[in-house]
Amino acid sequence: MSAGQVALVATLAVPAVGASVVAALPSRADRAARLVGTVAAAVTLVVSAALYRPGDGGWFSFGPNPPAIRPWHDLDVSWASGLDLRFHLGVDGISYPLVVLTALLTLLCCGYTLWHVPDPGRGRLLTALLLAIEVGILGTFLALDLVLFFVFFEVVLLPMYAVIAVWGGPDRRHAARKFVLYTLLGSVLLLVGVFTVVSAAGTGDIVALTAANPLSRGTQLAAFTLLALGLAVKAPLWPLHTWLPDAHTEAPTVGSVILAGVLLKMGTYGLIRVAVGVAPEGARWAAPVVGSLAVAAIIVGSLVCLAQRELKRLIAYSSVGHMGFVMLGIATLTATGLQAALIGNVAHGIITGLLFFLAGAVKDRAHTGLLDDLGGLRERAPGLAGVLGFAAIASLGLPGLAGFWGEAFAVVGSLRRGGPLWSTLAAIAALGGALTAAYFLRLLRRVSHGPASPVVAAMPAGLARPELASWGPLVLLALAVGLVPALVLGMAHDPVQALTEVVNR
Amino acid sequence: MVGSTLPVVGGYLGSYATLGLLLLVGLVFFGVAFGANRLLRPARPASPEGKFATYECGLDPVGGDWAQAQIRYYVYAYLYVLFAVESVFLFPWAVIFDRPDFGMVTVVEMAVFVGVLALGILYAWRKRVLSWT
Amino acid sequence: MSDLQLPHINYAALAPMLILFGAACAGILIEAFVPRERRYPVQLGLSLAGVVAAGVAVITQAGTRTITAGGAIAVDGPTVFLQGAILALGLVALLFVGERSLEAGGPFVAQAALIAGSEPDRRQVVRPGATEVYPLMLFAIGGMELFVAANDLLTMFVALEVFSLPLYLMCALARRRRLLSQEAALKYFLLGSYSSGFFLFGIALIYGFAGRVDFAGIHAAALGSDRSNALLYGGLALLSIGLLFKAAAAPFHVWTPDVYQGAPTPVTGFMAACTKVAAFGALLRVLYVAFDRVSWDYRPVLGVVAILTMLVGAVFAVTQTDLKRLLAYSSIANAGYLLVGVLAMSKDGLSSSMFYLVAYGFTVLAAFGTLTLVRDADGEANHLSRWAGLGRRSPVFAAAFTFLLLAFAGIPLTSGFTSKFAVFAAALDDGQTWLVVAGVITSMVLAFPYLRVVVMMWLSEPAESTPTVSIPGVLTSTGLAIGVAATLVLGLVPAPLLDLSTKAAEFVR
Repeated sequence: MSAGQVALVATLAVPAVGASVVAALPSRADRAARLVGTVAAAVTLVVSAALYRPGDGGWFSFGPNPPAIRPWHDLDVSWASGLDLRFHLGVDGISYPLVVLTALLTLLCCGYTLWHVPDPGRGRLLTALLLAIEVGILGTFLALDLVLFFVFFEVVLLPMYAVIAVWGGPDRRHAARKFVLYTLLGSVLLLVGVFTVVSAAGTGDIVALTAANPLSRGTQLAAFTLLALGLAVKAPLWPLHTWLPDAHTEAPTVGSVILAGVLLKMGTYGLIRVAVGVAPEGARWAAPVVGSLAVAAIIVGSLVCLAQRELKRLIAYSSVGHMGFVMLGIATLTATGLQAALIGNVAHGIITGLLFFLAGAVKDRAHTGLLDDLGGLRERAPGLAGVLGFAAIASLGLPGLAGFWGEAFAVVGSLRRGGPLWSTLAAIAALGGALTAAYFLRLLRRVSHGPASPVVAAMPAGLARPELASWGPLVLLALAVGLVPALVLGMAHDPVQALTEVVNR
Repeated sequence: MVGSTLPVVGGYLGSYATLGLLLLVGLVFFGVAFGANRLLRPARPASPEGKFATYECGLDPVGGDWAQAQIRYYVYAYLYVLFAVESVFLFPWAVIFDRPDFGMVTVVEMAVFVGVLALGILYAWRKRVLSWT
Repeated sequence: MSDLQLPHINYAALAPMLILFGAACAGILIEAFVPRERRYPVQLGLSLAGVVAAGVAVITQAGTRTITAGGAIAVDGPTVFLQGAILALGLVALLFVGERSLEAGGPFVAQAALIAGSEPDRRQVVRPGATEVYPLMLFAIGGMELFVAANDLLTMFVALEVFSLPLYLMCALARRRRLLSQEAALKYFLLGSYSSGFFLFGIALIYGFAGRVDFAGIHAAALGSDRSNALLYGGLALLSIGLLFKAAAAPFHVWTPDVYQGAPTPVTGFMAACTKVAAFGALLRVLYVAFDRVSWDYRPVLGVVAILTMLVGAVFAVTQTDLKRLLAYSSIANAGYLLVGVLAMSKDGLSSSMFYLVAYGFTVLAAFGTLTLVRDADGEANHLSRWAGLGRRSPVFAAAFTFLLLAFAGIPLTSGFTSKFAVFAAALDDGQTWLVVAGVITSMVLAFPYLRVVVMMWLSEPAESTPTVSIPGVLTSTGLAIGVAATLVLGLVPAPLLDLSTKAAEFVR
């Protein structure tokens, strides 16, 4: 095994082992267990960061017909030969940013849990579940086999359910059940899609499927429809999004961060890597529908946000709009659009993760999230208000911050695609961008400005050091990605180019 | 084929038509038989003494008709059936066991068979099923 | 009479069954002559030794492909695999049956048929140490071994009776809730003998069609016979009814919930695991060896049965409030998934069905084993509401049970996922898409009752009357550990067993 393969396995094994160790430690060693979990998450981050090896894709690229996916590291061993299941992991420019983002956000959440455990306590179990979720998400991003992809996709479901249902807000049962119902429905569609592809092509290897495209047109249409529907539930695409506001609102802070920051990306990433890659003809066929729904999501999400009266719910609905931009980028099937989707994914993960941290901080201090009861945060807690303002502005897509590139390029990609439909979609999406600015400014006006409301006046002013530690990296990343988008775009350029070639073959 | 001799019931559903015809004939036969019986028989609507007794002639029934058998007999019934079945196997065996090539193997096999049955008796005896309490 | 030949008998091939029946007879002798207080260790030791010895005898037969005992017994890959499976599962079931630390004198009484509540019955309930269950169990396991090896319909029928009769009795042996237990046994007996009748009548029709009862003869006659096909189809239908009854497939499933609930829990586990293996083993042999030439005719019908089974199991499981009944309906649904694998009618279908049987067997045994641990003053507390908040009181136990339920739900990284995947993949390869779609949808429906139990255990507040989780004895702990470990290992590394089942998947005709 090469060093890269070891790193691939370690990326999954470290959090998995960490989760089991943390869960197995006795409850009286709660704090020590959380510390162990945080260390495991930190090691995972280091290992996953070490996967970085952009290059020319090795000797593959010199062949007459280079494969569309050229992983930097590749681990392909037989898992169950009787079933043709393969344990095929790999990482390339499309998945690498998401892998690192996942590891980072999990580390931040574990660190945050070290400092603050939401009711009803038992922080070590929360840490263990966070690590288990990390295993699932990282596995989803690393899997290069359809069945393995599905397996990891499923692994996330139950730990997340437990996080919402145990540590969530007052209406957590309902929210958790809704989350599970929707996600299970999505999984079933996804599984049927996977079955369709595997039985038609005789292999589940994503690299081979993307390179050779052995499926007939009819199969591709069916496969894309099933896979896209299953993934769209997770992403979520309007009108399959209704689980999201409830789940995000009721989940504890760390749960919301993971949900919004990386869990949703499993859907969009899956759409790019699996649905588009495996069934490009189906993707071409369904692109107008996906694009229209994405734009509808942008507009609907923005309008709902304008009318929201609860802080966390507003941020949750803003995710619907932002993921709409990502979906629009994917739907264009152009290199620009896919690049926009990738950087939009990363930016949304960073910024919305930060926003949920902040919303949690506000709610923990004020014990309410109603915009009517908040106000004047700027006077009482300038630090918190400052970071909130930064995150909100980043999220509304100010040039120079991370959120800008995804939204702008999605619109550009749609315009480049040309034709009356895509031009119209681009125009409406741009309008949605303006609406995004409107509701975030409304949020800032209601929360930060004006006279301090009674609850705000009663809350502590300062910021705790753990809070700064968990927000700082996200603030810096939002700046860095905003200023140097090539951080993400550079490494994604080649794989995206290769993928668009496949799609437009 | 019946279907080919009857022009009305040829074709794909021919065999089903045969079946239907047979059903019809059956019904008609049944109706005619019972109808004829009803027309021809003498009618005695009144119910004279003894009409519904168990035996219309001969002995008068004595006592109730719902007699209980002693439940203990069922063990004996079991044992009887067991050995009745055993003897069913024993007779054909007794005819052939002395043929060439059969010999010792067959004797042992039958001994095992009888032994298993004896085991049952032994168990029943030890569990005091056989004693009449 | 002159052409009568002494049949050649391959004793090595028959050794597993001979050992088991011999041990069972020895068990009867022990019952008759060894003093009461010393019977338990002797019987348990003898049973375990018998099963292990039979297992060794099965292993030595690996690779054998022969038909012996005058064509009555076929020893081939599937036979050896399924016999091994029955013995392995039976060994674990025996561990649960042998447990005595949970209840004074073990969960069984001596006599099944005493009138519940009568003076002798009350006497036997308080008297400790009935050991009749061990020879009965050995007879049942032996019968199942014969059932999966039978190469003609008459041998199969005899084997069916040999393993069914002990099971009827074992159902009625529960020390607690005597009336319920006897009701279960009577129901099982009446419906079971009814289905045996169907089976026998099916044999008669098949004999009328083929003039023979051995599978190779039927296979030949299916192509060449000039008798009416109605005999063939009618006979096959009746045979299938008899087998599907034992496998608990809808619409022949109605006995399952009542019997599973009333029978002593270790026996329920034994039935759910081993009877299923035996029934499907026989079904596979009948369909693949004798009737493979008419598969185009019966596949749609059995497909409908499979879908109905999955639907009935999944939908009714949602409404259950008793855990044993819940697991019973889940076992019905699993029969449906197994039928999907059986109907693939290919080598993959055969091997994946056999894999499924083993994987499911271990999981269901462990699940019923955990049920025996949750007790209050009246014995086991199986009502769902009583399990509220058990996760708080005994997290390890609840975690293990949660894992088993997730395996039932088919969540990845458990054996439930790999086995379902295997049967569905086999069916898809053979073009049975409709079955797979139904299977996937019903397994989603079926996930809810399991998740409800999980939620109940972890998220509900424990009530005042929440029963305690007993500390399991050595035997139960071993059994549970084996079951949970098998569920995990077959989920993570299914390859060795899958390879084994693929290698074994070839019938001899």
